[in-house]
Amino acid sequence: MMEPSITSRSSKTKPAIFEEFFGLGQEETASPFLTPSSRKWAAHLTLKAALLAALLLVCSFVLSFFSSTQALSSLVLVFVYFLAGVPSLIESIEDLADFDINIDVLMTLAAFSSVLIGSSLEGALLLVLFSISGSIEDMVSAKAKGSINHLHKLSPTKATVFSSDGHLIERSVKDIEVGTSILVRPGEIVPLDGKVIEGVSSVNLVHLTGESLPVLKTIDDQVPAGARNLDGAITLCVTHTAADSTLTKIIQLVTQAQEAKPKLQRWFDRFSRTYALTIISLSAFFAISLHYILSIPFLGFEGSVYRAVAFLIAASPCALILALPIAYLSAISACAKKGILLKGGVVLDALAQCSTIAFDKTGTLTTGELTCTGIKQLSANEAHWNENEILAIAYALEKNAVHPIAKAVNSYASKKNITSASLKEFKSVPGYGIQANALFNNKELSVFMGHPEYILPHVNEEQKQQLNQELDVIRREGKILAVLMIDTHLFIFTFEDVLRPHLKDTLQKIKQKKQWKLLMLTGDHENNARRIADEVGISEYHANLKPEDKLNHVSELAQKGGLAMVGDGINDAPALARATVGICMGKVGSGAALDAAEVILLHDNLEYLDWLLRKASQTQAIVKQNLFIAIGAILMASIPALGGLIPLWVAVVMHEGGTVLVGLNALRLLKK
Amino acid sequence: MSTDHFKGKTAVKHVAEAQARGIIAAAEIHGTEIPGSISSATDAARQTVILLLLSQTLLAYWNILPKQILASLFLLSFGWLIWMAGRSAWLGWARLERLHRILEEERWEIEHNREQEREELQALYEAKGFQGKLLDDVMDVLMADGDRLLKIMIEEELGLSLEVDEHPLKQSLGAACGTILAASLVLLFYYFWSTNGLYLASMAAILVSSGLSAHFQGNRLISTIIWNLGLNFLAVASMYFLLTFFHDLGLIQ
Repeated sequence: MMEPSITSRSSKTKPAIFEEFFGLGQEETASPFLTPSSRKWAAHLTLKAALLAALLLVCSFVLSFFSSTQALSSLVLVFVYFLAGVPSLIESIEDLADFDINIDVLMTLAAFSSVLIGSSLEGALLLVLFSISGSIEDMVSAKAKGSINHLHKLSPTKATVFSSDGHLIERSVKDIEVGTSILVRPGEIVPLDGKVIEGVSSVNLVHLTGESLPVLKTIDDQVPAGARNLDGAITLCVTHTAADSTLTKIIQLVTQAQEAKPKLQRWFDRFSRTYALTIISLSAFFAISLHYILSIPFLGFEGSVYRAVAFLIAASPCALILALPIAYLSAISACAKKGILLKGGVVLDALAQCSTIAFDKTGTLTTGELTCTGIKQLSANEAHWNENEILAIAYALEKNAVHPIAKAVNSYASKKNITSASLKEFKSVPGYGIQANALFNNKELSVFMGHPEYILPHVNEEQKQQLNQELDVIRREGKILAVLMIDTHLFIFTFEDVLRPHLKDTLQKIKQKKQWKLLMLTGDHENNARRIADEVGISEYHANLKPEDKLNHVSELAQKGGLAMVGDGINDAPALARATVGICMGKVGSGAALDAAEVILLHDNLEYLDWLLRKASQTQAIVKQNLFIAIGAILMASIPALGGLIPLWVAVVMHEGGTVLVGLNALRLLKK
Repeated sequence: MSTDHFKGKTAVKHVAEAQARGIIAAAEIHGTEIPGSISSATDAARQTVILLLLSQTLLAYWNILPKQILASLFLLSFGWLIWMAGRSAWLGWARLERLHRILEEERWEIEHNREQEREELQALYEAKGFQGKLLDDVMDVLMADGDRLLKIMIEEELGLSLEVDEHPLKQSLGAACGTILAASLVLLFYYFWSTNGLYLASMAAILVSSGLSAHFQGNRLISTIIWNLGLNFLAVASMYFLLTFFHDLGLIQ
């Protein structure tokens, strides 16, 4: 193969950040026009403004108690109205321009109307509560936007193409047609789907298929875009354009799954539009009709307009708005202490409605690492080799490799305090294995270790037959293997996936106490899947699944009833996005999966799953109680205020009393 | 590629227009003028309104008679008009002088340091992805024509666009018109409807000027108007309450 004749530009130019900017919905935090150091100024700006407004409101409230600082209190209050009021006003006017009368409009109207009847502190409180609630929603939706962005980051934007005169040039993947030859160097991500036409290498497909072991790719093998090329340079003939590549399909699947997902809106959200319209209409009606019904004037403290505004303020859903966020925030905080990150409180509602939980295998039920379970000598005449001697040679061969099998061999040898043998003429064949000459008992022996196909050409017919029979048995057991050949002697190393600790107990609790249905969805082989499912007590499993197959299973189950999906890889991202609730392993999880999921187990602490489900049920109960208290407080404050039975300050106290009660009830969720 | 991407123009013309839009969008308003008489008019109108609002609040607080306030605001507007128009023209000329000087420096560089200029140009085009023989060919073509080379260096190296600025006097006229219109509206309303009239006219002037700015710059209309109104309210109310606080403390009589 000819050597590359160009220097890569990538080392000279900074990576473009335009895709990230547009992927995040043109967020200032990714603006290409800002200096990288000043972008952090834009982070959580709405939340910062809301919190500053809350602080200023407290200052204004304290200053209002002293006659000498009344003006200062008003000065500070003006800033509260500016920080919290202007964004609400803009949103409300934009909604009104679209003929949409909703809770935003009601709250803004009530807050600004309060100034007219001398209750500007109450109005400011409404605005601050509303802006805090809104900014938290902004934060959650910003996180959701990152999902596709991570997938795009994985997808290379350019590829190295062989030009007609044999030179290597870089081209945008969008300009590369089917049939073009591209070079993929070791360590690079495969930019487009293709067929190998030159070279041999191992590629890692873990993010695409969930398969944890590197896969050997030789001439005529298909390699999907998004795979990582590990050890050898390969030339591919492109089989799909960028628009049809495997990775693009996954991106499309995630996008479709996010769009198809039923919105986790509570009944309160649906109810809020009707509520807002009713209260605003009633206020307008009372302002006009009370003048005639009760024979009171329009204006003045006893006037119908005053009473209508008082009704509007008392009926503003302050406690309702607080009822849900505080409950959810308390639950979120309690979860965070356990290392469980929730993207919004509504996730808990959704989780409480689920009755089925599906698990990915590699990286989720298992750690994604291998453990060596034994070494088997193939022929009887190898009796003079003991395990330590075999391990010393295997350790010497594999100690510098990063392959999961090599890691498992090294770990096994370390546990047994094995010292590696001396090697000469070490040679690595990418994707296949390793060979060398080992010095053993003053003799130099040729040794090979790796894939069975790498060893088979070096053995006689009898050994070949024996080896094939043995391989069939081991593969049926769902185990992974490697073959070591020392001189003419063969040894088979067997490996298994490592299960996560305490997993069986947790799954049994979920099955028995919560009566949930458990199943496993994996891209791994049937045998391996069956072995793991049996070990952890999952009766239903589906193996050999592509990302779209997983998505289909999840879509079907999510439609039948609530489904929680636990996964970690990019191949799980569409299913995590489509499930009623997606749960992702935080440590091993890919960026796309982390973004597509609503729950992140930060320490891969799967053993807290049953605790999380209990917390979800508890949160739902407290939310219902809070809604009952909030609606009660609104009715008790607004109706007497309208009838002029109680003065406005009493109405405000009752109104705020409901708010405090709701807050205290919600704080119970902070308990672990 | 979309067939109407160039909208009937040549690719070169299209790129030139895109660059012109880029430099207008990148122009910083803090303390300087956006090129364009309309921008200077809307900016001057907003500044005039806030000046009159703050002045009226201050004068009314000290119990100065409305007629005297009106006269004071008129006189203030007159002086302000001269300052705004003159400032706009001066900033325009200062910018033009700076651009001419840069142009002269670049021409001198091209005439006296051709090798270094070629290196700079080569670096620019390497960053655009040109390499090997193709890069050498491009360099030869560009270096062959001095006039074209100067234009490219001005646009590519310095990031400036040609033929996008209006004459300073035209910008100045815009600023003068904005000031006169805003001041006339506010003073007339104050004359007929006292303080409430002044507030109403100020709101109208801010609404129209910020609305026009948003329209010409392609920004969100409602958001721009509300932020401008909010900022004006914040400025006036803050001054008023601070004044009251100082008064309560006895620092101001």
